Amino acid sequence: MNYLLHLLIYLDIYIIVALSLNIVVGYCGLLTLAHAGYFAVGSYAYALLTLKLGWGFLPSVAAAAILSGTLSLAVSLPAWRLREDFFVMASLSVQALIFSAINNWSKPGEPVGTLANLTNGPYGVPGVPRPDIMGSVFDTIGSVATISLVLAFLNLLVGWALLKSPWGRVLQAMRDDELAARGLGKNVRRLKVQAFAVACGMVAVAGALYASYVNYVDASLSSLDHSILMLSMVIVGGVGNFRGPVVGAAVLIAIPEIMRLLQIPDTMAAEIRLMAYGLLLIVMMHLRPQGLAGSYRME
Amino acid sequence: MSNEVVATPSRPDMDGYQKQGSGMQVLLNGLIAGMTMSVMALAFTLVYLPTRVFHVALGATYTIAPFIAWTCLGAGWSWPLAVTLATLTSVLLSLACEWVNHWPLEQKNASPSAHLVSSLGIYILVVQATALKWGNDPKVLRIGLDSVCSFWGMVLTGAQVTQAAGSIIVLACFYAWLGFSNIGLQLRGMADNPVEMALRGYNVRRLRLMAFALAGALGAVSSLTVSFDLGFDPHGGLQALLLAVVAMIIGGRSSFLGPVIAGALLGVIRSEVVWFLSARWQEAVTFLLLALFLLFKPHGILGRKGRVEADS
Repeated sequence: MNYLLHLLIYLDIYIIVALSLNIVVGYCGLLTLAHAGYFAVGSYAYALLTLKLGWGFLPSVAAAAILSGTLSLAVSLPAWRLREDFFVMASLSVQALIFSAINNWSKPGEPVGTLANLTNGPYGVPGVPRPDIMGSVFDTIGSVATISLVLAFLNLLVGWALLKSPWGRVLQAMRDDELAARGLGKNVRRLKVQAFAVACGMVAVAGALYASYVNYVDASLSSLDHSILMLSMVIVGGVGNFRGPVVGAAVLIAIPEIMRLLQIPDTMAAEIRLMAYGLLLIVMMHLRPQGLAGSYRME
Repeated sequence: MSNEVVATPSRPDMDGYQKQGSGMQVLLNGLIAGMTMSVMALAFTLVYLPTRVFHVALGATYTIAPFIAWTCLGAGWSWPLAVTLATLTSVLLSLACEWVNHWPLEQKNASPSAHLVSSLGIYILVVQATALKWGNDPKVLRIGLDSVCSFWGMVLTGAQVTQAAGSIIVLACFYAWLGFSNIGLQLRGMADNPVEMALRGYNVRRLRLMAFALAGALGAVSSLTVSFDLGFDPHGGLQALLLAVVAMIIGGRSSFLGPVIAGALLGVIRSEVVWFLSARWQEAVTFLLLALFLLFKPHGILGRKGRVEADS
């Protein structure tokens, strides 16, 4: 039962991630590799606020989302001018900068969380507390699963409300023909900033949830591998609607578990899992570019 | 395959010289490391300009070459044979990317994103297969201590001389071919306007294959010379590829010369960062440079002026 709850928590976390990436990839038509960076910003913000300042779960998550949303300007401003491969490279540089900052903002001997040793470098921040809402601590796996389910549902609701609103329709118009959207008097620059802020805020919530469940954060959360995993989810599942990202997150979470059932030896499991991801990316691009359940093809 | 791996010019053999050595030594080390980046940047540009394919799988050809050479040398083959087979493998892998992936996608009129994502898929597939076959631990091609020569107060290792000589010879041969042969002219024409070339009846398919094959060979040269000096593992390919892409963007993506100049420049800057700051800020400075160029000078050092959004 605990195993299933563990899977449910991971699924919830990555559903939030995939939904947030859907806003950028599916509704703005931009591939970003910086998303893991914002996930890590959320996790670290949560970890340090709860550990150092003793904040509760909800204020920490809100602060993490706001911080990440503000930092999203680093990708949304380049998106004003860059498209396609060049935007991917710009987002990659943001990811590399966030990774470098997290991995290097440390000084041996100084206590973790001070200005000299903010992130503790490659050693990460251990002992992140479990969610604490209004004084009651959610320290069983069942209670964390409940919180993650509620958060995933809330994110789904927020995403749905936003993307089905006129704002979401303008976003799609901009994706399909930016020049026409501008011609109709829509402020596409502001739209891009808003879309990235919402997406990065959402992924920070997922990061905070991850930190509170695993109790440990380190720089690998912002690695390029993690960004590629996130991107694979929306590419495999599909974007442009709400089914796609959820299906993608479920498929990519399920692959390692299926391999466990097939009893592939541990020494080979990591490589074979990544090979499966790589193969999926190739096959999807050839046979079903809109993803398993998506409604938008990246053209 | 992540940017956790600090590669190229943080040379283990540089530390001793750094403490007592001169700025010129750092400059020279950076320039030599930069030359191998130049070759890789040229390999990437060679595919990107004529085909507009973001050849991420070039990182896989970079990864596989030293493993093939290592296996051949282990089986008692001579150096020239091992290097030839390693280069051939890279060429075939690069060609396979075009045969199996990019040409079919091109015929479907797929988007640049589809090319990029599927190429990334090939990269992941090949690198993980390599890790599965040969393991994740670092390996070395060279056995024993390296020879050392010194001049004008600067010290060069035999491996560095190989890197510099290999890169210069390859670059010189390539530019001579590009500048003076008929096929080179066709390739330049295609780099300028692929659609126009096809309309004028040139065999675009053959030129594309040639670009992919040459890119594989150049990738292998860059990889083998670096591996001979610093060793290799399955995950260095993406790092080398990203540096090549950064060099292409900084150099200007409308010429074959810009990326080579930018590659050398990048090597020098990265080694100066080690000298003045710390090796751990190399990646940050490299990508900060990329971000600044993308924002303020997107056509690069030698590129033709024009808005990026206009032609992408």
